[in-house]
Amino acid sequence: MRYDLKEGNLLLKGKNSFILIGRAKRLFILFIETFEKELCQTVREDDLIAVSAPEGGDPRQAFMLLELIREYNMPVMVLPKGHPGSGRLNMVVSAGPEIIPGCGIMRGTHPEQNVICASEEFSGFSFYSDGGFVRIESGLLGRVADNSGMNIDIVRIPDSELRY
Amino acid sequence: MCSVGGPMDVELAERLKGKKYRCNDCGTTFEAVGKHPVCPSCQSENVTLV
Repeated sequence: MRYDLKEGNLLLKGKNSFILIGRAKRLFILFIETFEKELCQTVREDDLIAVSAPEGGDPRQAFMLLELIREYNMPVMVLPKGHPGSGRLNMVVSAGPEIIPGCGIMRGTHPEQNVICASEEFSGFSFYSDGGFVRIESGLLGRVADNSGMNIDIVRIPDSELRY
Repeated sequence: MCSVGGPMDVELAERLKGKKYRCNDCGTTFEAVGKHPVCPSCQSENVTLV
């Protein structure tokens, strides 16, 4: 299933968690800061930026995080394994042409940007940039998300509805 | 804010896959991930893998 991101964002709502997906809108460099080094990732205008809330929360907070990356190019931080701050991250972000939700990962501890921490509800899903659209696929026998039986609501939300 | 990805049982150091580049326009050296490295200083795509 493809959804147009040119006019807004896509909110994928599970029972207890959600993922907000937006379009990068312009080319910029995402700085990924680890304790040892800085990595640069080129983000192109049609790339996706996803914010995952594995325990749910306010989508407006997720939108703020998305905007900090997209509009203000705030760098992202990678925490070392075992860092106590990892458990305090209720929302995490990922950017790129493809984003894969992963359930068995520790928040904030990895620099790769194509996998994002998510709840079990999003297991098997994958998101791909597709010329201003996002293409959502489900790993369940290759069926699209709408037919996956995972009870994920997919809602298109313009920026204006997510701003305080 | 954070960046996430990869399985939990893999050490962070093993997961770093950045490559070092030098910008041919401004001389900046940087480490990048992804297929389309762009100089973080001048936004030039004229970069060389070092």
